[in-house]
Amino acid sequence: MSDKKPHIIYDQEGQAGKDRPWIFRTYAGHTNVRASNELYRSNLAKGQTGLSIAFDLATQCGYSSDEDIARPEIGKVGVPINTLDDFAILFDEMAMDEINTSMTINGTSMWLLSLYIALAQERGIELAKLQGTTQNDLIKEFLARGTYVFPPDQSIKLIVDMYEYCLNNIPKWNPSNVCSYHLQEAGATPVQELAYSLVTAITVLDAIKERNCFNEEEFERCVGRVSFFVNAGMRFIEEMCKMRAFTELWDEICQERYAVKNPKFRRFRYGVQVNSLGLTEEQPENNAWRILIEALGVTLSRNARCRALQLPAWNEALSLPRPWDQQWSLRLQQILAYETDLLEYPDLFDGSPVVQSKVDDLKAQAKEEIQKILDAGGGVEAIKTGYMKSQLVISQAERMAKINTGEQVVVGKNRWAEGIASPLLSAADGGVFKVDPESAADTLNALHETKAKRDEAKAQACLKQLKDDAEAGKNLMEASIACAHARVSTGEWAATLREVFGEYRPPTGVEGQTLSLENDKLQTVRAKVKQFMEQYGHRPRIVVGKPGLDGHSNGAEMISVAARHAGFDVIYFGIRLSAVDIVQSAIEEDVDVIGISLLSGSHNEIIDQLMAELDKEGARDAIPVILGGIIPQSDIPNLEQKGIQRVFTPKDYDLMDIMNTIMDLILNAKKTAA
Amino acid sequence: MSLPSRMPLEPAWLEKLTQAKALKKWPLAKLITLFESQLPDNACVREAIHHYIAQHPQSFSKEATIIGFTGTPGAGKSSLIAELCRTILQKSKTATIAVLAIDPSSQVSGGSILGDRTRMHYGKKETRLYFRSQASNLELGGVTEATFQACRLLRHLFDFIIIETVGIGQNEIDIQFMTDHTFLVMQPLAGDQIQFMKCGIMEIPDSFIVNKCDEEKLARSSYHMLRSSLKQARLVELHAEDDYRQSAKDQIFLTSAVKNRGIETLCDHILQLPSKTHWHKTEDFYLQKSIQKRFGEFGLSLISDNPDKELLSSITLSYEEKERKVLQLIQSHIK
Repeated sequence: MSDKKPHIIYDQEGQAGKDRPWIFRTYAGHTNVRASNELYRSNLAKGQTGLSIAFDLATQCGYSSDEDIARPEIGKVGVPINTLDDFAILFDEMAMDEINTSMTINGTSMWLLSLYIALAQERGIELAKLQGTTQNDLIKEFLARGTYVFPPDQSIKLIVDMYEYCLNNIPKWNPSNVCSYHLQEAGATPVQELAYSLVTAITVLDAIKERNCFNEEEFERCVGRVSFFVNAGMRFIEEMCKMRAFTELWDEICQERYAVKNPKFRRFRYGVQVNSLGLTEEQPENNAWRILIEALGVTLSRNARCRALQLPAWNEALSLPRPWDQQWSLRLQQILAYETDLLEYPDLFDGSPVVQSKVDDLKAQAKEEIQKILDAGGGVEAIKTGYMKSQLVISQAERMAKINTGEQVVVGKNRWAEGIASPLLSAADGGVFKVDPESAADTLNALHETKAKRDEAKAQACLKQLKDDAEAGKNLMEASIACAHARVSTGEWAATLREVFGEYRPPTGVEGQTLSLENDKLQTVRAKVKQFMEQYGHRPRIVVGKPGLDGHSNGAEMISVAARHAGFDVIYFGIRLSAVDIVQSAIEEDVDVIGISLLSGSHNEIIDQLMAELDKEGARDAIPVILGGIIPQSDIPNLEQKGIQRVFTPKDYDLMDIMNTIMDLILNAKKTAA
Repeated sequence: MSLPSRMPLEPAWLEKLTQAKALKKWPLAKLITLFESQLPDNACVREAIHHYIAQHPQSFSKEATIIGFTGTPGAGKSSLIAELCRTILQKSKTATIAVLAIDPSSQVSGGSILGDRTRMHYGKKETRLYFRSQASNLELGGVTEATFQACRLLRHLFDFIIIETVGIGQNEIDIQFMTDHTFLVMQPLAGDQIQFMKCGIMEIPDSFIVNKCDEEKLARSSYHMLRSSLKQARLVELHAEDDYRQSAKDQIFLTSAVKNRGIETLCDHILQLPSKTHWHKTEDFYLQKSIQKRFGEFGLSLISDNPDKELLSSITLSYEEKERKVLQLIQSHIK
């Protein structure tokens, strides 16, 4: 006994050994179900150990591929799923009782889980064997990601329905995955990440408790099913401490708030996707090092090591990644887990006064913030009032300001920006991934075929049952599974519940925000604004909005805050707009410029729609349009030809440079018009 | 009295005015920009437009009912107005509505973020509805000069003008001088009632709306609380029995934009409201306000001491003519 060495891991029998690696995942899916199925099978063959399914935006927002708003998005950021027949192809030749499937799905997660269950039933697989996760964290959707469908209270109800159903039917399923990942992408500080995601978990568990559907033993198990999805950025020591703080805080909350006795059910189980926000479009090869360092933050400390890890690709700031890019990231994980000695040691940081002090500090601040939100009515209330959202917008604006002033160094961006051009970008495809626009036809045909073949009366009866159950406030899992079997489509399921629950627009968080940015560039821009006002009698007016279904609003929010700081009147129109919405707002508000932001890769289709609509109103050449987002350089000439005045990409990080360019465009356009 | 020579209305503006009358959005928006403009040249065009409208009363026969919505931020004014517009347009197949939504300007940069449009998420291309965001331009009082100017035009083109104020409680007084009817929108049980009592804003509204009454119980208790406050302050004459279901009789509306509750009742109330008969008084108020802003009490005293008592009460002089006369008067004293 006494000859046990502190640097060796011993199992329960006292045998020395090493840890098993975490689950290797790659967030993947594109084009259509057949292409995605091939991709998954080849990824698994390469040594990936878990699936992480990316759905396209229409599927995430509850629209079928044949709806107008869905068409530009088919297969862009993930795989389109319409009916059970699609799911059968997606999981073709994959053993559902063996794989661990993580689905990044939120507003429609009950529907996707129902499809998964229905497919397992059709294949005769025991449900208890299914393992995986539906992301299903709506609070962070309202805050940062934007693929919510229903209002906050109904969204929480659906989550509780799933916990109630899963606990005894598919006990190995994580019905929801509390996400701090997207909060960091939206600018959250480590303290905000800790506080807001723990508030989210508390909100869900409180709602489950309130329903009173479990006995004490079941509730403990239910707490044990809550898992987390976390981010890790470049400050990797602090990130490691954040993970330890998470672990300790969760244990405390489970004991103090929920009286969970079994330590197994209090364990902070989490998966990670490391930070994409800090990845640069400039010198993109540098991102490979960034990803490695970020991965260390969540693997170094054994006590706070992730359960599953997915890494972004080095070129994510340029476009959606290609299979090769994803393979490169997977190899990083394999090298870290199998070539190094990382998995051979107990926790390296236990007893470090530096680490413990940092952890305590994070915990104390996070607790204070958690208490503040709970005192103000809890997570749902903090969504409705916009409190958490406004705090995130402030943090993001501060972060941007620090990069602008050089206070936060980003190599290759605001320091050492000169360098040799990357040969990685000189491949025939320009180093970027593109979805074949023709491939959408397969998805549409399949949907059409399923609808033609299905028993229509049965499908309608199932939808009717779903509606009745929703109105009666019943658990909607059984009715949803029946819909899945009856070949109901994603759009039909969501539309039925929209009818009962309504839709929701959360507060944007941008009103009243200011930027703490004072420099010469700002003075230059303000001078131009002044000149404009003297000449035209009003402040420059810009409408900012996001067409399509992509809900990543950070860019649009930052531009709005910066434009206001420069002295613009900004009409902030938010997300999920049609081309018609944007053009109508531009015309009714008589704006001087239209600013739109797109990250989903659907820019070519959506710009076509927008320009056609401007044309219809006779405003095509009268109002300049600028575009910002993840836009491959190779697409820019084409977009400019379509009439876009200027395309801004992550490379254009200096907000006042952007404002300066926009001011020049406006002044120029006015001069030409006069 | 011979009127000073006016600029004739340029054909390009006349064409925009004609199109705006048919509610074509873009020309209408261009006109609003002209009316909001601070440039002296544009004031001349405004005057020409007004002259034209005055001379063609048969073409511009509309006289909008102007309705104000005031109340603290967070009371849900924008969502409520969105629901209300939807309901009005459904109930009346001919009614036309212009919405002016005001948000605050930054003290630092003078710029603004106008976010009310995010709530108006329907009616995409609704021809009978026009929505315009306005910045407060740092004016206290909640309703800006730009809003007043926009109303001068819109009242001839629409059946209803709905104004959503900035919502900074203490400075919402001026809206009553522009509207035919002012609603104070409150959150249920937020303690607002007591706050408003203190700052005097309770004397402004013609009606009260307790919004976000998502639940029956909340509606009931909010009604009783507000009613007892009103009774105590003797601000309104209370008619109804103490029964929340009949609250409309006491000009108290219990609404929920989310649950679409009470919106119909409110809509019926609005549809029967008469329009303003004394618009020139509104103009005089804003003229004085504008003079006060530029020349302070000194300017105001010159107007009130002016022997030409006709000046402000005249209904034949246009706003711009009065403004010119007042400015002449002030100039002569400054010399």
